[in-house]
Amino acid sequence: MPRPTRTTDSKAVTAREKSAALRREHEARERRRTRLIVLAAALVVLLVAGVVTFAVLRERANRPSLAGVKTYTVQQGHTAKAVTYAQTPPAGGEHDPVWLNCGIYPSPVRNENAVHSMEHGAVWVTYRPDLPAADVDKLKAAMPDTYMVLSPYDGLPAPVVASAWGKQLYLTGADDPRLAVFIKTYRQGPQAPEPGASCTGGTDGASGTGQTPSGPGVAP
Amino acid sequence: MTTGRRAAAVALALLAVVGAFLLGGQLLRPATPSDTSAEAGFARDMQTHHNQAVEMALVVREKSTEPVLRSVAYDIATSQSQQSGQMFAWLTMWGLTQTGSGPHMTWMSGSDGGHEGMSGAATGAPAGAGSGMLLPDGRMPGMASSADLARLRSATGRNAEVLFLRLMVVHHRAGVVMARAIEQRTSRPEVLSLARSVVSAQTSEISQMDDLLSARGAAAA
Repeated sequence: MPRPTRTTDSKAVTAREKSAALRREHEARERRRTRLIVLAAALVVLLVAGVVTFAVLRERANRPSLAGVKTYTVQQGHTAKAVTYAQTPPAGGEHDPVWLNCGIYPSPVRNENAVHSMEHGAVWVTYRPDLPAADVDKLKAAMPDTYMVLSPYDGLPAPVVASAWGKQLYLTGADDPRLAVFIKTYRQGPQAPEPGASCTGGTDGASGTGQTPSGPGVAP
Repeated sequence: MTTGRRAAAVALALLAVVGAFLLGGQLLRPATPSDTSAEAGFARDMQTHHNQAVEMALVVREKSTEPVLRSVAYDIATSQSQQSGQMFAWLTMWGLTQTGSGPHMTWMSGSDGGHEGMSGAATGAPAGAGSGMLLPDGRMPGMASSADLARLRSATGRNAEVLFLRLMVVHHRAGVVMARAIEQRTSRPEVLSLARSVVSAQTSEISQMDDLLSARGAAAA
């Protein structure tokens, strides 16, 4: 059978060229589509990464910093004697065998008892006696109902000072947003040597002072 | 491979990266309750609740000479401080603080499988908010007030025993409601196990304390 002779039919040439052109056009379209799909997928990846980064950064920025918290190495131990503390107010140290009952006190409490409560995981919030009554009310409202002591304190280095065992933060006042963060972090926190030990069944403040117990007020 | 297939493959690979990223975030995140979870809320609130029961039991033990009541008080003080310690340890192991951010009982306002628990309707407070379950002075249900505790501390003899029993029955009832509420909201075995212990122990102690009240000629709480 004779092989078909190479066609020189102009119609056939045109058809081949046409089909080649179509193929090129098709390939170009494919390439454009590929680029679009890759671009879209890359955008999705970038978008997800961006949203996550933004959320994390915003979360960090909104968290009040506890950078101002001072950390002290303090001694444990019981003594019935008066103790001279390195910090004002004390942020831990030797203390009375009897702890202070947690609660809200309208007048100053004995250091040696309050320090024992901090050993049990309480946060002790102290304020200058001249703090306006409205601000004292704000502090009362910010107190959890257990493992907290609130009392006025003479000669404070700041309007309000929050203390926990080995930790202390000077606050600008009752509105300082770091108070809530300090309480959340250190009340029954890992720095306390005996968390969960009682903050009741101790003294209402009369121990060693000979004064009439003032007694903790009604906690909110 | 045609360009179309290649494009699809590249796109699929990129989406797989995204998927892995999202899924990995879920899987790699430690499978423990979050700071605002019902489990964390329960662990914090129930510690506070239990610790007050321990306090009241120790107060009455110093005042009573009656062996059965002293045993009940001893039992409550030791078992509830042990359970309180379990809940403390959960929070530590979950990497959470012992102190929450919101008001007590917020965890009980969430989804509860259709059970109402301590709803606002029961306390006359608006439903939907955790604080709506609290007593007007901010106490959790069942908690004795500062005035109640002061009366208990100053009472003596039979009066102290009766006051203790009444306060503790009310305290236990609310404890059982809280334990039932967490049973509806968790699948964690350690939490379920403790919740069931609380329900069974406190339910039987309530009936025992009711008996002790009637033995003293006092009305039930």
